Amino acid sequence: MLKLQDLTKAYRTDEVETVALNNVNIEIEHGEFVAIMGPSGCGKSTLLNIVGMLDTPTSGHYFFNGEDVAGYSESQLGVIRKQHIGFIFQSFNLIDELSVFENIELALLYHDIPASERKERVAAVMDKVGIAHRAKHMPSQLSGGQQQRVAVARAVVGNQSMILADEPTGNLDTAHGQEVMEMLQKLNEEGTTIVMVTHSPSHADYARRTINLLDGHVVTESMRA
Amino acid sequence: MLYTNYLISAWRNIFKHPLFSAINIFGLAIGLTSCILIALFVRDEISYDSFWQKAENIYRTHITFSVPGRDPMYIAMAPGPIMHALKRDYPQVEYATRISIQEPTIIVDNQYFVDFITLADPEFTEIFELNVISGDVSQALNSTSSIILNETLAQKYFGQGNAVGQTLTIDFDIFKKDYVVAAVIEDMRKNSMVQAEAIIAIDEPAWIDQPYMFDAWFSTNSQLFFTVPSGTSIDSLANTLPDFVNRNFPKLPFGGEDIKTSDMISMEFMNIQDLHLNGNSDGEYHETGNKNTVIVFATVAALILFIAAINFMNLSTARASSRAKEVSLRKVMGASRKDLIIQFLGESILLTLMGMLIALTLVELALPVYNDALGKELGINYGSNDLLYIFGLATIVGILGGAYPAFILSHFRPAETLKANKSAETKASVKLRYALVILQFSVSIALFVSTAVVYGQMLYAKNKDLGYNKENVLAVKEIYRDVVLEKLDLLVDEIERMPGAIAVSWSNFMPGNSNNNNTIVHTEGQSTEDGILLGSRTIGYNYFSTYEIPLIAGRDYVRGRDRAVMTDDLRAGNFYTGSLVVNESALGRLNLGTAEEAIGKVVYVGAGQPEENLTATYEIIGVVPDIHFDSLKLTIRPEIYDLEPEYGSVLSARFNGDPNVFVEQVKQLWEQQIPSIPFDYDFITDAVAKQYNAEQGQANMFAAFSGLAILIACLGLYGLASFTADRRTKEIGIRKVMGASVFDVVKLLVWQFSKPVLIANLIAWPVSYYAMSIWLENFVYRIEAFFIIGFCLIAGIAALLIAWGTVASNSMRVASANPVKALRYE
Repeated sequence: MLKLQDLTKAYRTDEVETVALNNVNIEIEHGEFVAIMGPSGCGKSTLLNIVGMLDTPTSGHYFFNGEDVAGYSESQLGVIRKQHIGFIFQSFNLIDELSVFENIELALLYHDIPASERKERVAAVMDKVGIAHRAKHMPSQLSGGQQQRVAVARAVVGNQSMILADEPTGNLDTAHGQEVMEMLQKLNEEGTTIVMVTHSPSHADYARRTINLLDGHVVTESMRA
Repeated sequence: MLYTNYLISAWRNIFKHPLFSAINIFGLAIGLTSCILIALFVRDEISYDSFWQKAENIYRTHITFSVPGRDPMYIAMAPGPIMHALKRDYPQVEYATRISIQEPTIIVDNQYFVDFITLADPEFTEIFELNVISGDVSQALNSTSSIILNETLAQKYFGQGNAVGQTLTIDFDIFKKDYVVAAVIEDMRKNSMVQAEAIIAIDEPAWIDQPYMFDAWFSTNSQLFFTVPSGTSIDSLANTLPDFVNRNFPKLPFGGEDIKTSDMISMEFMNIQDLHLNGNSDGEYHETGNKNTVIVFATVAALILFIAAINFMNLSTARASSRAKEVSLRKVMGASRKDLIIQFLGESILLTLMGMLIALTLVELALPVYNDALGKELGINYGSNDLLYIFGLATIVGILGGAYPAFILSHFRPAETLKANKSAETKASVKLRYALVILQFSVSIALFVSTAVVYGQMLYAKNKDLGYNKENVLAVKEIYRDVVLEKLDLLVDEIERMPGAIAVSWSNFMPGNSNNNNTIVHTEGQSTEDGILLGSRTIGYNYFSTYEIPLIAGRDYVRGRDRAVMTDDLRAGNFYTGSLVVNESALGRLNLGTAEEAIGKVVYVGAGQPEENLTATYEIIGVVPDIHFDSLKLTIRPEIYDLEPEYGSVLSARFNGDPNVFVEQVKQLWEQQIPSIPFDYDFITDAVAKQYNAEQGQANMFAAFSGLAILIACLGLYGLASFTADRRTKEIGIRKVMGASVFDVVKLLVWQFSKPVLIANLIAWPVSYYAMSIWLENFVYRIEAFFIIGFCLIAGIAALLIAWGTVASNSMRVASANPVKALRYE
């Protein structure tokens, strides 16, 4: 599905150049569940941002479905991103002023989908993640676990083939974390590719492959039997 | 030490948020600048004539002629004999003087000047104190051969040396006489309706052959001022005026037996301090102000300041959440709410004072242009209380603008803000901010509409078809002097022969200047008593063809064919029939049927002074449409146009080609023929436009201040937009991750600010429509009210576009930002 080749990302300030990713080579197939681990500042989030096309690499290639998107403009990336990629954040990133329903619907609003179909799809995905009864609530009225379920619903409502999750359980207690991980696993079993950044080894175990990063390099890759 | 801490905190806050501080300070600076400039104008307008020692007790007499079928003629003058009657009938009258301003030729050492000379009675110096530089004013007006000069004229005539004791000659055409300079006085203050550059005594015997000047009851050619002792009730005096009129005026020469003089003539006293803003009538020597204009500008000043204060409130409360932590910490350290309110109020006063310093600079920079536009000499008097007032104003604005933010800021509860680090803003304060933005834009849109209506009306008036062609007509002035009239025929002939000349004529009035000559006209079968008072102008041959006025019936006056009736012939018992042209309204008033039917009919026109009971006989030879020779502020009178072959005050010449070349030819001819009088001319287009000088200046001023109000509102909107955009960064990031394009986001943000502007339109439209249709009622000839609706639409669209322009750049910036940055930190 995607292939990173000699990918480098450097941040430049006035005097210092910080290399966040250095010659990274990763390949991820359709339907995989990959966990990315590593200490703070190792480049996990940078990697995820580039994979999610929210950021562009300094050099190297990024093949997405065979297409090299490394040199694409922001709007070109935007088109691919909204068709294929869903996001889940540690801090949920729901819009406080919108209801649960509206937050999920947001992902469809920019897709030219008629209102009636939007309603059906949002209803269906809310059922799937078990928050249908909270449709009219505002994010501030929900628990963390419920908020993250809304975020998951939002990430998949557009039938995205890949979900990028940045520490999706980081702000959740164990029980809620478990819940979210099971949901991701279920989505993976249904065919969604999942790339997840996590600090928790037990949550990384849900993935079939774990990539360890250190100082911008891929250190080890391990496959679960 | 606490206050030092406040000051440091305030100072750093100002520089930590340069955009907010700049918008606040400059918004306030512009608001205060406008306010100070308008205040200077208003102060000057209401200060007129309040500086006289006896100001409270100086009055001027006004006369109103109310003739049935005519607009009342309200005149700021009084017939000459009234002064004597007033002093005889009312012992309360202490001092009285007439003032008549003439423009004779002044001859000093064989040099000719034309200047304004004030003719006054001796008690002038008892009523108005003059600041004497040299000589003695007290006895000057008791002599008929003394003159008082102001500094400017003294220098003009006699150079730097002492003018007192020097002699000059004044040629009034009626008589010519030498005067000795008795005193030199300081130039009179500008904010006075009494302006005298040179003063001589009224010498009634010298004007005996011109009874209309000081001796006729039905002519008004001088203003009448008088004083009463302090404490005199002027109202009880005024109540007896109808009796006074009936007792003193001669019987009206028309209107029938039963009519009382007081039915048609009324008198009124007005305090000198009210003259400038309430006078506004015929017979003023100096430009009057307008009370409504003063009120409108004072309101505009308040509105501008209000808009600036709203900016201040909105930006401060919007930013409040970013200071929540500081407030909470101060509270934890023991600050009371009162301490915090003092701190934040202090900050807002500090900001306003900074704005004030910039405002003072801006005022000084703007004053030259401003004074030029208004024809005034306004300025801040730094030595007086002005600075105190100005800083008082700044402090009040600071307190008004800072009170609400101080209240909001000091309200934060430390536990909540410190723990959750949440946005501490309440829904109510967001709503209030929204409401204030709506209010700001309502005011701005209403000002925009008002400006458009004021301008529209002015353009309408300037471009209205006056009934004559004002283009390409040269008006040569000063021809009423004997030396010119002697050569009138020669001048007309010579000018007619000049290349480029099309037609030449003359008249006793200047189109665009008002004229209040009236005469009694009656038709065959009527007695003089049944006559009707019609407006009267005198013109020369070919006047209507010179002004390209098409006659409805009949023809223009033709040399050699039409005869004028000379008053002296009537006095000598020599009667004959003259030719007469009248306008359409006069035809109606005289019941002469249609224009065609009227040709050839005979009318009788009063001549000379009413007391003389002379009647001239005329045959109507032409009828013209109603023509706007007077200001458009007046309805057209029923008028007769009397032929006057030997007299006029303005010579009019229609030409084609280069105006400058034509003027130069006429000037050469004039200087060759009449070297003693300086050549003075105007183009009719300019003379007509001059009527609107004051309106033009005020319209420009109004437009400028409206523009500033809108600018300040936009500054505030810009600040709010950038604040909101920052606050919505996270939301925008999420939307972008969800697939929103830059355009989608800009649309979202721009729409957020379009709503208040649209609501503001709903408020501003009815208010401005109502206010401006009332304003338009001041004009007899005015633009249709539906134009206001058009202006409303334009204002609405303009406000929306301006708001978009203001918000769009910010929105673009935020919308184009990389969403990763927005989402990385919570």
